[in-house]
Amino acid sequence: MNVVETKDLVKDYALAGIAVHALRGVSLSFEEGEFAAVAGPSGSGKSTLLHLVGCLDTPTSGTVALGGNETLGMKRDELAMIRRRSIGFIFQAYNLIPVLTALENVSLPLVLLGEGRASAREKSLAVLGRVGLSGMEDRRPKEMSGGQQQRVAIARALVKRPSLILADEPTANLDSKTAREILELMLELNETERTTFIFSTHDKLVMDYARRIVNLRDGLVEEEIRR
Amino acid sequence: MTRAEFAMVSDMAFRNLFRHRVKTIITVTAVAVSVALYVFMDAWLAGMNLDSKRNIVNHEMGAVKIETAAYFAGKDEIPMYESFADWEGLARILEKKGYRSAPRFVFTGTLYSRSGTAPIVFNAVDTEREKSLLSYWKFIDAGEYIKNGTRGIVIGMMAADKLRLGIPQRIDREAFEEDLIASASARADADFIRSLYVPFRDSGEKKRAFSADESDEELDNRLVLSREATKDDMARLWKILAASGRMDVRVATTVDTKDAATGAIRHVNQLIDAVVVGVVNSPNPQTNGNVAYIPLDSLQDESGLMLGGRITELLVRSNSAKDSELPGKEDSPGAVEAALREGLAEEGKAFPGDLVVKGWIAFVEDYIAASAGDNVSTRIMAFFLFLLSFIGIANTMLMAILERTKEIGMLRSLGMTDGQLVFAYAIEASLVGVIGSTIGVVVGALANIPMIYVGIDYSAMSEALNGDYGYRVAAFFRSAWNVPTMIGTYLVATALAGFMAIPPTLHALKMPVTESLRFE
Repeated sequence: MNVVETKDLVKDYALAGIAVHALRGVSLSFEEGEFAAVAGPSGSGKSTLLHLVGCLDTPTSGTVALGGNETLGMKRDELAMIRRRSIGFIFQAYNLIPVLTALENVSLPLVLLGEGRASAREKSLAVLGRVGLSGMEDRRPKEMSGGQQQRVAIARALVKRPSLILADEPTANLDSKTAREILELMLELNETERTTFIFSTHDKLVMDYARRIVNLRDGLVEEEIRR
Repeated sequence: MTRAEFAMVSDMAFRNLFRHRVKTIITVTAVAVSVALYVFMDAWLAGMNLDSKRNIVNHEMGAVKIETAAYFAGKDEIPMYESFADWEGLARILEKKGYRSAPRFVFTGTLYSRSGTAPIVFNAVDTEREKSLLSYWKFIDAGEYIKNGTRGIVIGMMAADKLRLGIPQRIDREAFEEDLIASASARADADFIRSLYVPFRDSGEKKRAFSADESDEELDNRLVLSREATKDDMARLWKILAASGRMDVRVATTVDTKDAATGAIRHVNQLIDAVVVGVVNSPNPQTNGNVAYIPLDSLQDESGLMLGGRITELLVRSNSAKDSELPGKEDSPGAVEAALREGLAEEGKAFPGDLVVKGWIAFVEDYIAASAGDNVSTRIMAFFLFLLSFIGIANTMLMAILERTKEIGMLRSLGMTDGQLVFAYAIEASLVGVIGSTIGVVVGALANIPMIYVGIDYSAMSEALNGDYGYRVAAFFRSAWNVPTMIGTYLVATALAGFMAIPPTLHALKMPVTESLRFE
């Protein structure tokens, strides 16, 4: 079953008054349990593709379907609900809430889904344990290293067991050892939880781990490599 | 929003306050200052108004007046010819219905004393009825209150000072010798008078606030009545001064009468000899200015005003009314008129068509104007203070939201809706409002305590304006607790603070999530 399916996806926008054609008609599908990387040079449209798939932006034309449901024409709150229920995001800059502890950051998606505090705490502690942060649940982001913060971000993306995790350059701010650890962790979660991972990256290490690589160039799919 | 979501959002909002403590403290301080000032000023206005209203009703006119419609229409001119007779019948019915009443014949004239003249508004009163209805007679500074059947006069303290009547509380050394000591016919009396006055500097009295004409030189030359002077001392001093003719006065007035058939007004000049028997200094400055009280019954005949039982107004107050309270429902003009009509109907009589029943508020336009003016100007001032502090909150929230644009993008990517984000930031701003308002209300209330129990002495200003400045407070302006305003200010400030977060949040939400996430 396709977790994600895009059809003739086009995204144009203006940057400082100049029209940018970020995507020029991308049709792709990702199945459940894929561990895929969208690669390409800067400006190739990989982040734009991830944003459209993650319902963070709307396409100029074309469609995105998540789990078979088209997102075209959905209202802001409906898109927010899809993000809340079905998609986990991991960002290059971790984007943790600085005033919340690791545990609270991880609990946030569960609370938004209406989970009680006790249950959210229990699940979050378990996920923090899985990403190797047992005992660090009360630390605030500024008290953690970059790798630890990214693990918290992964735990936050994972805790609600989404069908899809979108990771935008997740290793860009990490040293190679930490990056490898993080990728190992995500691969393990992909294998055990059957969670679909789609990365946007130009990090060779990420591409080494990915089982499928979609190369974009100038807003078009240049080639696809499956392993 | 679930309880867990609400708790999470509130918790996050609370913690966000500590992100930039200095900024939060400054904003909280701005809110606290504006709330405190508003609470303080409102309490002061409330106190001045409450005291003024009580003093009007208790010392000046009671709750309701019955007059002829023509007198009421021209009341500023005091048209004594628009009077009415047979007030005793009305008073009897009112008494049966649970109301006290006091007749007055109000007229103007010039009062001549040994030392000068002054225009005076005279209230010819039935002293016993007046005493049962009003309280100014309890504030006789020196001498005693007038008695029916005499030609005594009680005069306002400020007029008495100008006309050198009564016993001066403060006097300069030259006037003391020329005016008081010279009044003593015996050396013993002179020594007695000297023993009652002490230099201002030794008296323990302080210079009054807002006094424009009290220079150090004048105060050095001033004598004041000793605080140790007893009632008997005062009575003896009054007797000595009265014996010298100091209290003898002459009233020059014009008696205006209206020809019932033609409506023509006839003027008759009249001179009435009288003796000042007391000086009134009540908490209502209107009773202490150029005002005098004289027994009504002494003016009935040819040597008086030839009144023939007529009066210009009948003051009314219910028996159950208390001096500490403002007139209630039973003291309303409607209730009084209804009682009067009912009583008259029981006797088979009709309500006199030429009479009107009016509440006290209809007679105090000067006070209403002063109060309304102060209310408006104070509230405009307070509004701008509020505005300034809440622009501060809006600025703080704008900065906070700008600074957290990326965070907003992340929260939106997690699935937070626009409504939840607006709510989250409104809660954060409301918390600033809650803390600021709490501090503001507490500080405002604390500042009120001395204002309620001590107040500010405005007696010098009151005297300089001859007691005629709208407010009916003769000496100390005091505040009053105004709990509804305190609660209202607290709630409005909190709600307004929360509201201030909405526009910048909505503005931030216009940005696409992707742009928010890229924002640096």
